[in-house]
Amino acid sequence: MLWTIAGTSMREITRRRAALLLVIALPLAFYAARADMQGQAIRFLALGVGWAVATLALFSHVGSRHLDRRLAVVGASPTALLLGRQLALIGMGLTLAGGYLALVAATQDVARLWAVGLLLATTVIIAAPLGAVVSLVLPRELEGALALLAVMATQMIADPEGTLAKALPMWSTRELTAYAVDPVGDDVLRSGLLHFAVVALLCACGAWAAAVVRLRPQTLPTPVNP
Amino acid sequence: MRQQWLHGFLDLCLLCLLLERRDYGVGLAQRLAHTGFGDIPGGTLYPSLLRLEKQGLVQAAWEASDVGPRRKYYELTSSGATAATERAQVWREFRDTMDRIAAPARTAPAEES
Amino acid sequence: MTASQWHESFARTLVEHGVAPGEARRLADDSTEEAQAANMHPADLFGPATAYAATMARAARPAPLQSLTRTRGPVVLRLTGVTKRYRRHEVLRGVDLTLRAGEVAAVVGANGCGKSTLLDICAGATKATSGRVERSARIGYAPQQRGVAPYLTPDEHFRLFGAVHGMAARRAVATGAHLASGLGWLPRPGIVAGQLSGGTQQKLNVVLGELNRPDLILLDEPYQGFDQDSYLDLWTQVYAWRDAGAGVLVVTHLLHDLDRVDHVLELKATEDR
Repeated sequence: MLWTIAGTSMREITRRRAALLLVIALPLAFYAARADMQGQAIRFLALGVGWAVATLALFSHVGSRHLDRRLAVVGASPTALLLGRQLALIGMGLTLAGGYLALVAATQDVARLWAVGLLLATTVIIAAPLGAVVSLVLPRELEGALALLAVMATQMIADPEGTLAKALPMWSTRELTAYAVDPVGDDVLRSGLLHFAVVALLCACGAWAAAVVRLRPQTLPTPVNP
Repeated sequence: MRQQWLHGFLDLCLLCLLLERRDYGVGLAQRLAHTGFGDIPGGTLYPSLLRLEKQGLVQAAWEASDVGPRRKYYELTSSGATAATERAQVWREFRDTMDRIAAPARTAPAEES
Repeated sequence: MTASQWHESFARTLVEHGVAPGEARRLADDSTEEAQAANMHPADLFGPATAYAATMARAARPAPLQSLTRTRGPVVLRLTGVTKRYRRHEVLRGVDLTLRAGEVAAVVGANGCGKSTLLDICAGATKATSGRVERSARIGYAPQQRGVAPYLTPDEHFRLFGAVHGMAARRAVATGAHLASGLGWLPRPGIVAGQLSGGTQQKLNVVLGELNRPDLILLDEPYQGFDQDSYLDLWTQVYAWRDAGAGVLVVTHLLHDLDRVDHVLELKATEDR
């Protein structure tokens, strides 16, 4: 069941060509805009990927909520419905990340290239469940997209040293970018990975809880026959 | 209005005509017209024949004719003959009931004049 | 249109209405010979090719086996005093219904009197405010709106629903196609549900509700967008499912066939309570 749901979700997403094109193009635009400064370029590329994957996840979950409800009523587990869709989204996000990693490798000389791959992956792994959480709390495309926009824009503008930035989901992306580009120590890597782990866990649990609350049908007893 | 009524009875008409003798499509249409039901379009006649075939009441066979191209002849199966008799009986009961209900409508003008 | 064009159009439309290609070919050849034997242009003898094909497809559809005695099985749905209230707005009050396997129930009432809500409560999608709902575990559910995914093809729907029901992909697709032909529709590959006409989307919706042969089938105004023939086909299918042992609950605002159903549940509008 899980893999069928994942495959079906993948097919659904890839059929929305215009959305896919924007998803692919947006991070590229960010990267190109800051190409002169390596750290900034990679950071905005990654945040762009995060925003794009989160928005894709939002629209994918919102668009399927009626069908998911119908499937849950006839016996699909809300966990499988959520997880299948997330697997498809993360798979697509990681593919996209792979492509961008190649781009960075070709156009930049980065101190720790593998860390760039790592930070792109962590961004995707946070972005997909983040989009799911927003979709389950605000199950409408416009409101959800605005919420994501607010989060992402604040993420990009806020001072990375301040407490606000640390409260936002993709602070780890900025930390890991610093680790990839600048000659900093392993403590930066550790704090980045720790933040990522906490946020990823929170987003995943939040998405799972919200899915169960929203999708799980009433358990109704079988009729007793006289 | 008559055409609408006939649509409901067309299957029974065809069964009864075929009970009398086997025939091909155009022949059946001619007999229907000749008996007084007017022209039945082919678009209505042939689907009825197909439905009766699918229900196993009628079987069809192509036959070479001496004049012109070959024709598809329809004839009743044994279950078709049974169905014709049964449905004709249902029709008679229906007709008798309808006659009783329609009786006042016939006598009223005679009283007025 | 020339005679051969008429026959091609006829054969093609037959297939679109769910007739197997071999049989469609045979019917087209027969009509060619009939037209020749009558020495008439097929359009004069049979009428427009597409309309004639629709009528012939219906006539060719095998009538479901009519069981001579209908057995009423165990209770598949029981509602006792079901009430639903949203804030201060009472949508349903004190609804009672007992539906057994082998029965059809129609839920009727004016628009806005809670028919769809009642169906959602039966399905388990919504919780009743008070009252008791008991139903079989295996159900099929065709909601009134948004029951299908616009970006998936019919076959992908069959595979997805089949996977949820534990059916192998190939069997799910074959079952879906078979059920579709009962409603006069041939699912075509490569066309997503959003591109289908409203009536055809609704046929897909209904087919998905019956895919795993459930004990209880819940249909919410299933005939939307249907032409007269499809409407008749739908009720033929509903009675066939009933005869095969399912309990069927149909929400309808059309009163034509109420004399053939076993239960009629009328929901009163709030003003009439």
